[in-house]
Amino acid sequence: MMLSINGWLNLFQPIQLQLPLLYPSLASYHHESRQNHSVTESGMFSQSDDDLNSRGFEIHMSRDDINLDKLNSLFVMVGFPRREKGKLLRALEHTVSLLWIHEKKSGSIIGFARATGDSIFNAIIWDVVVDPSYQGLGLGKVMMERLIADLVKRGISNIALYAEPNVVGFYQPLGFISDPDGIRAMAYSRRRR
Amino acid sequence: MAMVCSTVSFLVLPPHCSGRPSCNVACSSSCCSVASSSHAYCPASRNIVSILTSSHQQRHHHPLTSDALDKRDLRTKAGLWDSIRSGLLKTSPTSVTEPERKEDEFDLVEGEVVLVEKVQTDGTVEKIVFASGAEVDVYELELLCDKVGWPRRPPSKVAAALRNSYMVASLHLYRQPPSADGDIPALEKRELIGMARATSDHAFNATIWDVLVDPLYQGQGLGKALVEQMVRALLRRDIGNITLFADAQVVDFYKGLGFEADPEGIKGMFWYPRY
Repeated sequence: MMLSINGWLNLFQPIQLQLPLLYPSLASYHHESRQNHSVTESGMFSQSDDDLNSRGFEIHMSRDDINLDKLNSLFVMVGFPRREKGKLLRALEHTVSLLWIHEKKSGSIIGFARATGDSIFNAIIWDVVVDPSYQGLGLGKVMMERLIADLVKRGISNIALYAEPNVVGFYQPLGFISDPDGIRAMAYSRRRR
Repeated sequence: MAMVCSTVSFLVLPPHCSGRPSCNVACSSSCCSVASSSHAYCPASRNIVSILTSSHQQRHHHPLTSDALDKRDLRTKAGLWDSIRSGLLKTSPTSVTEPERKEDEFDLVEGEVVLVEKVQTDGTVEKIVFASGAEVDVYELELLCDKVGWPRRPPSKVAAALRNSYMVASLHLYRQPPSADGDIPALEKRELIGMARATSDHAFNATIWDVLVDPLYQGQGLGKALVEQMVRALLRRDIGNITLFADAQVVDFYKGLGFEADPEGIKGMFWYPRY
């Protein structure tokens, strides 16, 4: 039985005196500047780096030491195509912020997420993946919190992503809204031309 | 202002253009939109073919660097435009040298395409040129953004954002008045009338932002040409996934250019968006 991500996290969340809505109404955004939104509801990460470390998970936010073969293995495990290493390296070199989770016992990369953009106004998050064997532990949220915090710290005010239908529900509690103001995601399709 | 067009070349409209109804010049940034009211024309295919041929011989000296050859995306479907261009390029041997430059008042480099060319009654030559690598002055851009009603952003930030963009595409209007003195050509003026940019990881994905065209020049298909040329440039660089976020009123504009909304049900999501 798989508990939902939120189900698991409730075990780790500190007791909060204030309980903000999980799905704040749109009206609340209008008057608040981006800076007033903490990355998480509690203002702290759902799981600390120490918590994670003690369970064998190491968070890395640099592309130094990232093993492209291990990264490709992770991609393949979640159904992404294996990427050509030269191209993958080039993509990582032109990535604004990234995060990977090193699992100490196996030595594998079991989580990854990255963001591209102009480093000033816009960022897009891509390739958010967690090894299926480690899903349901809140690691997706762990990654997203830190990635967003890093982008916010850089002053990037527009953070967007493209979500497959089955993960829209994962991103909503993290503060993402789909099609705000009727904006639609579009992708070029060579078939159509 | 009466204009006599001796050469009118609309080089980049798709030959099979179906005469779409009102084309909104698009904006894929979440804070703005630019509306255009008139209809985008669609000249007959035959005219385009003949214009393309003659203009290529005169003006389109796209340098065939080995890099460009390697990156030529053979998977791109060859439209009429592409097959003509590749056909003409094939006639010159594989060269890695500078292209021959004729006595041309407009110095085109790779990534530049003349979209419109007009000669006015007084002899002024006007050209609208698309470029994917031209310098965009932030103050010119600020003026342009004012014209379409976009909020101003700190110029230093805009400059940095442009520098950090993978591609900055521009539409410039070049105006060369007739020379008062027979020998000395008059100074050519250049004005920014459109822009679009893309961020990318230089390998897999690109996202197009900030598409805008000066309202004075809207309604001529320039927005379509801008985005279409940009897409081609990105495909030539082997970027397989070209995305954008479209305001509701310009979704159809982009559909007409080959973009699909919510592909496979994928939804665009924004983190605590500001309205």
